[in-house]
Amino acid sequence: MKAVRWVFIAAYLLVAAVPLVWLFVTSIKYDIDVTAEKVKWIPNPATPKNAPTVTFPPTVGQSWLLLNDKAYAQTEFPLIHYFINSLIVAFVSTLASVALGTSCAYGFSRFKIAGDKDWLFFILSTRFLPPLAVVVPILIMYRTLNLTDTMFGLILLYTVFNLSLAVWLMKGFIDEIPKAYEEAALVDGYSWMQAFWKIIVPQAATGMAVTAVFCLISAWNEFGFALILNNSQKAMTAPVIFKYFLGRTTGVPWALLAAGALLYAVPIIIFTVIVRKHILRGMTFGTIKQ
Amino acid sequence: MRIRVLAVLACLAALSTSCSPSESKPSTLTIWWAAWDPAVGLQKLGDEWGAQKGIKVNVVQIPWTDFQTKWSLESGKNKTDFDIVVGDSQWVGLGATKGWYIELTDLVKKHSSTLHPKAATYLSEYPTGSGKFYSAPCETDSMGLAYRKDWFEDPKEKDAFKAKYKRDLKAPETWEELRDVAEFFYRPNDNRYGWSVLTGRGYDALTMGFEENLWAWGADWFKVTGDKKVKIKGVVNSKEAADAVTFFKDLLKFGPKGAAMLDYMQCMEVFNNGTTAMCANYFAFFPYIHKQMGDKAGFAMIPKKGNTRVIALGGQGLSVSSKVPKAQQELAKDFIAWFLQTDTQKKWVKHTGCFTGNVEVLKSEEFRKADPWNAVFADSLDHLKDFTNEPFFNDLLQPVQKYLGEALDGGKTPQAALDAIAEDFTAVFKKNGWTVE
Amino acid sequence: MDQGPRKVPSFFLLKYGFVGPALVLLVAFNIFPLFSNIYFSFTDAESDLSGMKGVGGENYGTVFNKPMYGEAMRTTAVFTVVVVAVELVLGFCLALCLRDSFRGRDVVLTALLIPMMLCPLVVSLFWKLILNSNFGLFYLTLRDGLGMQDPPAILERSPLVAVMIVDIWMWTPFMMLIALAGLNSIPKYIYEAAEIDRAGRWTVFLRITLPMCAPILLLAVLLRTTDALKQFDLVMALVGENLSQTQTLSVLLYQRAIASQKVGEGAAYGFVILVAVIALSTLFTRYIDYIQRKQGKS
Repeated sequence: MKAVRWVFIAAYLLVAAVPLVWLFVTSIKYDIDVTAEKVKWIPNPATPKNAPTVTFPPTVGQSWLLLNDKAYAQTEFPLIHYFINSLIVAFVSTLASVALGTSCAYGFSRFKIAGDKDWLFFILSTRFLPPLAVVVPILIMYRTLNLTDTMFGLILLYTVFNLSLAVWLMKGFIDEIPKAYEEAALVDGYSWMQAFWKIIVPQAATGMAVTAVFCLISAWNEFGFALILNNSQKAMTAPVIFKYFLGRTTGVPWALLAAGALLYAVPIIIFTVIVRKHILRGMTFGTIKQ
Repeated sequence: MRIRVLAVLACLAALSTSCSPSESKPSTLTIWWAAWDPAVGLQKLGDEWGAQKGIKVNVVQIPWTDFQTKWSLESGKNKTDFDIVVGDSQWVGLGATKGWYIELTDLVKKHSSTLHPKAATYLSEYPTGSGKFYSAPCETDSMGLAYRKDWFEDPKEKDAFKAKYKRDLKAPETWEELRDVAEFFYRPNDNRYGWSVLTGRGYDALTMGFEENLWAWGADWFKVTGDKKVKIKGVVNSKEAADAVTFFKDLLKFGPKGAAMLDYMQCMEVFNNGTTAMCANYFAFFPYIHKQMGDKAGFAMIPKKGNTRVIALGGQGLSVSSKVPKAQQELAKDFIAWFLQTDTQKKWVKHTGCFTGNVEVLKSEEFRKADPWNAVFADSLDHLKDFTNEPFFNDLLQPVQKYLGEALDGGKTPQAALDAIAEDFTAVFKKNGWTVE
Repeated sequence: MDQGPRKVPSFFLLKYGFVGPALVLLVAFNIFPLFSNIYFSFTDAESDLSGMKGVGGENYGTVFNKPMYGEAMRTTAVFTVVVVAVELVLGFCLALCLRDSFRGRDVVLTALLIPMMLCPLVVSLFWKLILNSNFGLFYLTLRDGLGMQDPPAILERSPLVAVMIVDIWMWTPFMMLIALAGLNSIPKYIYEAAEIDRAGRWTVFLRITLPMCAPILLLAVLLRTTDALKQFDLVMALVGENLSQTQTLSVLLYQRAIASQKVGEGAAYGFVILVAVIALSTLFTRYIDYIQRKQGKS
C-alpha cells in the first residue's frame, strides 16, 4: 500500500512539474529549437542563421535579454511597461480592497447593521458572478466616464472585484479577535475609531496581510476586463500583452513568451509560499480554515 | 485614516498619469493597423513624411486576432484614439454606414488613373458601383501559391512524378493538377505533406482559403440582382458549390496534422518548417517565407478550373476617423494624399511585405524584377474578387466559418453545410432590409 | 455594545461609516449593471449605441432559441461536470496519499499549490505550446518517446479536452487541499474504535472516511463548479473565442457582445446569467451556513 502511495505521488508530481520545467527550458532556447521536429531538452548552443541580432549578440537564453525589446516583441512599449502597469494596478487596488474590506468587515462583526445577513449574502453571491455577465454595463459606464484605457479604471474595477473576498476573509479574522479587547479599551475611554486603530488593526495585521496577498494575486492574474477595457496599450496589463503575442504574424515568439511568463509567475510563486498556511482559507472565501 | 488617504492619493496619481493634455495644433498622427511587416513599413514611410512636416507619426500595431474587435470597440467611443485606421477591405461598408469613416471620394478620384480598378473597388468603394469611396487603398493584397521549387526541380522527383501522372512536375496551373502534386508529395511516414491552405476558424481564414474554389467552380456566396435585392438559394448551395467544398475537403487529406485548422501564421509555419510542398497564403507573407526558405521557395498564381481563375483579394485601406477634431482629419488626408503618389508608392513597395495597387508601379520592370513573387502578384490583380463589404459582413462570415468548419470536421455533409449557410444568409439579409429572391 | 449607543446620530454615522463605502461600491458595480442589462436587453444596441431602438423581447428570443446559446450551455455543463469529477477523484486520491506526515511533506504540498495560483492565461499559453501537434512536448513524447503511430492532435481534434486538461492540471491541488482538510478533521478515536472492532481497511474507508469527508467534499465540488462555470481565460488563450466546440458561457458572451458588437443581445444574455447566479448562490450560501455551524461545533 505504501509503495502505491509513493508511486502515485511521484507520478503526479512529475506530470504536474513537467510544464513548469518545460517552460524554463523553452525560455532559454532559440525559437528554431522550440519548433523543431524533435523534442530538445537541452537547447542547442550553436547560433542558428536566422537568430535576431537586434540589440545583443545571440546567445542561449537570449530571449531573457530581448525581453525588453519592443521591436522584437512587436509591442508598442517594452515589456516592462506592462509589468509595471500590472504592478501598480494590483497594488493600489489591493490597498483599497483591504482598507475598505477591513473596515466593512469590522462594521459587520461588531455592530448591529440592518439587514446584515442579507448584505453578507449579497457580498458572497458576487463571487459566483461570471465577471463577463456585467461586461456590457461596465463597458458603457466606463465609456461615459472616460475610464477606459486608464489604470484608474482598472484599479477601481479590481478593488470592487476583490472587495467581496476582502470582506469575507477579514470578517473571519476579525471575528476571531475577542471583543473583550475593545470593551477594555472603551472602558478606558478610547473612542470607537481609536479602538479600531489601536487594537483591531494590529491584531488583524496577519489577516490583512493574507487578504492582501489574495487580492494581489487575483488582480495580478485578471485577464477578461483588462482585455476588454484596454484598446490602446498605455494602460494595458501584462496578461493581455501575452495574449497579443499569439497573434504575431511572424510566428509566436515562444521563447520570449516563456521567459516573460516565467517572470510574471515568479512573484506569485513567492507569495504562494509565503501564505501557504492560509491558502485554503483564501480560496474558499474564509469558509474553511486550514 | 492614513491608509485611506494614501489610497486616495495613489488613485489620484494614477488618474493624472492617464489624462492626456489637449492639443491645440496637431503634432501627432495616430494610425492603427495590424501587427505585421507592412505596418513596420508604414511606420518608416510615416517617419519620412513626419520629418518633413514636423509631425510625429505613430503606427499602433494590434495583432490580427484582436484587430477587428479593438477597432469596433474603439469606434464606439466618442473620440477615437486613432486618426487613421488601416481597416480591412470588408470593414468599409460598416465604417461608412455607421459614420465612423469620412468620405474620401475626392482624394481617391484624384488618383484614379494610377489605381488598379479592382483595388479601388474592393478596398475602398461602398456601396459597390456607387462611386463613393471611404478609404484609400494602402495594402493591396492577393492570395498566392508558394511551393518548394527545390523539390519540383529535383530530377528524382520529376521522374517519379512523370511516371505516375504522365506529365511534367511544375507549379500547378489548374486545381486538378494541384491535387495531383499534393497527393504526390504526401508522405506522412517521412513527415512530408503536400498542401496547406487557410482553414483557421477565427476571424475569416477559412472563408478566404475556400472562396477561390467556390468561385472557380462557378458558384458564389450570393448574387446581388438589384438595389438591395439578392439571390442566395441556388447560388451558395448549388451543386457546384457542394462540389467545391468536397474538393477542398479532399485536398486537406494531403495536409499536415491540423490541416483543417490552420490560421494565417500556422499555414505558413508548416511550409516554413520544411515539411510541406505547397502553401496558399497572402502575398504579404511571402517575404517572410522567402526569408526562411530562401531559394527553396517558388511562387505562382492561384490555380484555375477550366478557364475560370478567381483569386481572393486581401488588403486594407486607409480610412480617416470621423471622431477626431477637424484639424486631425485634414492632417490625415494630407498624409493619404502623399501616400497615394506614385513616387511614394515606389518607396512603399521597397519595404518588406508592402504591396500596391498602383498600376504604374505594377507595370514597371523594376518592381517585377525586385522580388521573385512580384511579377506573379502584379498579374494576379486582374483576377481579384472580394467576399463582401456590406456592413453586416460579420454576420455573413460567422455562419461560413461555423458551418464550413463543421463540413470539414465531418459534422455536416457539404450540401447540408451550404444549406445552413444559405439559411443564415437569408435571415441576415432580410434583417437588414434586403429582398431575398 | 451592551452599554448602548451614547450619542445616537454619530453612532449611526460611525457604524455606517465603517460599512458604507464598501457597500456603495459593491452596489454600484453589481446592482447597477443588473438594471443596465435589463435596459439594453430590450434594444438592438450595437457597439457605439448609435441609432439603437427597442426590439421588445427579440434578444431574449435569440438567447433562448438560437442553437449557439444552447450549445454554449451544453459545452459549459460538460466541461464543468468532467473537470470537477476528475479533479475530485484525483484530488481525493492525492489527499489520501498525503494525509500522513513524512519528511518533505511540506515541500511537496507547497509545490503542488503553485499551479492553481498562477495566472490562468499565462498557464494556458504555455500549455498551448505543449499540446501543439507539430512540435509540442506532449505530442512529440507520445510519438517519439512512446512510439505511438498516430497520436491524437488534441488541440485540433478535441479542443474542449485540451481546455479540460489545463483546468485539471491547475485545480486538482485545490481539491486535494480541501480533501486533506476533510480527512484531517476526522478524529483519531473513531479509527481507533474501528481497529478495536477489527474492521477491514475497505470497510473503514467506505463506512467512516468517505461519509465523514462528504460534507466538505461537497463544499469543494460546489466551489469548483461555480468557478468552472465562469471559464473564460483558458479558452481564450488556447483556441480563441470563435471555436464553437469550446464556447463556454463567458466566451460566447465575449464573442457576441464584444467581438460581434451585439450589445443588446449581450445584455440579455448577461441578465439571464445574473438570474441563474442569484439562484445558485442562494443554494450555496445556505450550504456554507451549514458548514460553518458544523465547524463551529468541532
